[in-house]
Amino acid sequence: MRIYILRRALGIIPTVLMITFVVFVMMRSVPGDPVVSLLGDAYTEEDAQRAREEYGLNKPIVLQYFIWLGKLVRGDWGASILTGRPVLQDVLIRLPVTLELIVLSMGVALVIALPAAIIGALRQNTWADYTATTAAMIGVSIPEFFIGVLLLLLFSIGMGGFLPSSGWVYLPGTCPSMICGAGLWGNAQHVLMPAIALGVGRAAILTRLLRASMLEVIRTEYVTTARAKGLSEGPVVFKHALKNALIPTVTVMGLQIGFLIGGAIVVETLFAMPGLGTFGIDAIIARDYQQVQGFALITALAFVVMNLLVDLTYTFLDPRIRYA
Amino acid sequence: MAKDEARPSKPISGGSIGEANLPSTAAVALDGQARASASPFVEGVRRLRRSATAVVGAVIVGLLLVVAIFADVLAPQSPIASDQQHTFERPSWDYPLGTDQLGRDMLSRLIHGTRISLLVGVSSVLLALFVGVPFGMIAGFYGGRVDTAIMRVMDLILAFPIYLLAIILMVIFTPTAGLIGTMKVTGAIAIVRIPIYARLVRGSVLSIKEKEYVEACRALGVRDGWILFRHVLPNCLAPIIVTTTLGIATSIIVEATLSFLGLGTQPPTPSWGWDLKANVAFIQANAWLALFPGLAIFVTVLGFNLFGDGLRDALDPRLK
Repeated sequence: MRIYILRRALGIIPTVLMITFVVFVMMRSVPGDPVVSLLGDAYTEEDAQRAREEYGLNKPIVLQYFIWLGKLVRGDWGASILTGRPVLQDVLIRLPVTLELIVLSMGVALVIALPAAIIGALRQNTWADYTATTAAMIGVSIPEFFIGVLLLLLFSIGMGGFLPSSGWVYLPGTCPSMICGAGLWGNAQHVLMPAIALGVGRAAILTRLLRASMLEVIRTEYVTTARAKGLSEGPVVFKHALKNALIPTVTVMGLQIGFLIGGAIVVETLFAMPGLGTFGIDAIIARDYQQVQGFALITALAFVVMNLLVDLTYTFLDPRIRYA
Repeated sequence: MAKDEARPSKPISGGSIGEANLPSTAAVALDGQARASASPFVEGVRRLRRSATAVVGAVIVGLLLVVAIFADVLAPQSPIASDQQHTFERPSWDYPLGTDQLGRDMLSRLIHGTRISLLVGVSSVLLALFVGVPFGMIAGFYGGRVDTAIMRVMDLILAFPIYLLAIILMVIFTPTAGLIGTMKVTGAIAIVRIPIYARLVRGSVLSIKEKEYVEACRALGVRDGWILFRHVLPNCLAPIIVTTTLGIATSIIVEATLSFLGLGTQPPTPSWGWDLKANVAFIQANAWLALFPGLAIFVTVLGFNLFGDGLRDALDPRLK
């Protein structure tokens, strides 16, 4: 098991290298370069040339990538061409915001989906089941930003600004610099709507999947056996049925990570949150190569690490699955 | 799976190759005995009509198609002409859904926006199909190095979080307005979705190529291309059709999301995602402006999802 984890952890490296390299090449094929936006309207070709040399942008792309990589290995993520700020510092300031958003949205998804799916499966074809499946169908069809807009209308505008429509207050202890505001209640107010907006879609997908696999599992012989030997409904459902039904669900949740990152970009944009999503999209649009590389790196890392965690969850859910 | 159901009505046993090549519907018409067991297509349609979800989905999709095709006739006003005299009009008889900050009729913009959404949704999936399916078939059928080469590229695309790739592709393509702008969005979404179809088809082909009827064709010296398109492809159609319908729903959401981020079809071309984003700024006083484009996206995606779900139940009962 330990060897498996080690091997998988090493396997992360080529994937991350590949993603960052492809992003590197793609960004440099975007029309226009950051030097032009850095120098403003009035500049001579010589100025631009000098700036390009200064940032090493005149070298061959592959060489530029290896220079970036070489610095990265030494812990230097480079500095933004446009603001001059170290990329790593910016990423670290923004990471807790996005992390909190994603973790809470998954929490929202689980809180909604687990009971909905279990009740739907146990009481198949009753009104409770129909309510759960209909709600799930609606949930998978609403884009995150529209849920966000509905929440804004309800809690922010409808309730006289009960929840703030934009901005951020850090969770105490997560703010990496002295200047940012932090507070538990303020943080809760700011994170509630984005987390629900991002979580509802995930909840709907989870509900549909989990209900379907619960229906399958509940008809298996070992569930009948568990009931026959006199176990009460609680252990039957949670220990025998749910654990096995969770396996396909966990797989699909792994596949959803890519959508979750996109969802974070959208939700952060809508609620003007200072997270990684807004950092990434701003960097891409401004063609700030170094910042985009930082964003691609942290995204790729999150992506592969989450996928690894999903694989490791299998062994917990089904001990028969062993990784040698 | 529908593949299993499709097989009995395909005259593969003791028939000539010519007979095996007959499309299933033609086989029903020509062969009196086969009429008792309807073709999988007819059977599928029958089951589809019994499913309430599929019917509701089909009605929504059908209505949207009508709106998209006859947008010029249905829209009461121009979707792009601004009118400074009538900005932020509340919904009224003249402007059923009100007007935006440039005085443009919201209803007309929504009606024309249907075109962009459906066009991008359907054509991006078709484009992804036309590239992904042949690659998947070749990879699955030939295996070996060809398979490795194709699937490596597909895995490379799949290794990306899809929005990261779509966003960078759109920045490279530089978003513009009009038909060209719409084609760029279509292309970006199609590239991201190609591996889904390639993988799906490869999986099906891997099992189908081991079947006796493929072996029979080979023994008779039928060319590979013919085997692939006349014998292998029809047998992996069911999962493709289902994934396609549900894929349109996903593509419409991705298009709306790109537009929302300002990377979709550019104004003045009406696009739901863009309209929603532009009007969120005025949500305090004019809530309906952000509400209607969002509702339009929701209803469209719901329609395709319902139809796709119904299709899956009809064609692929085991996937339910």
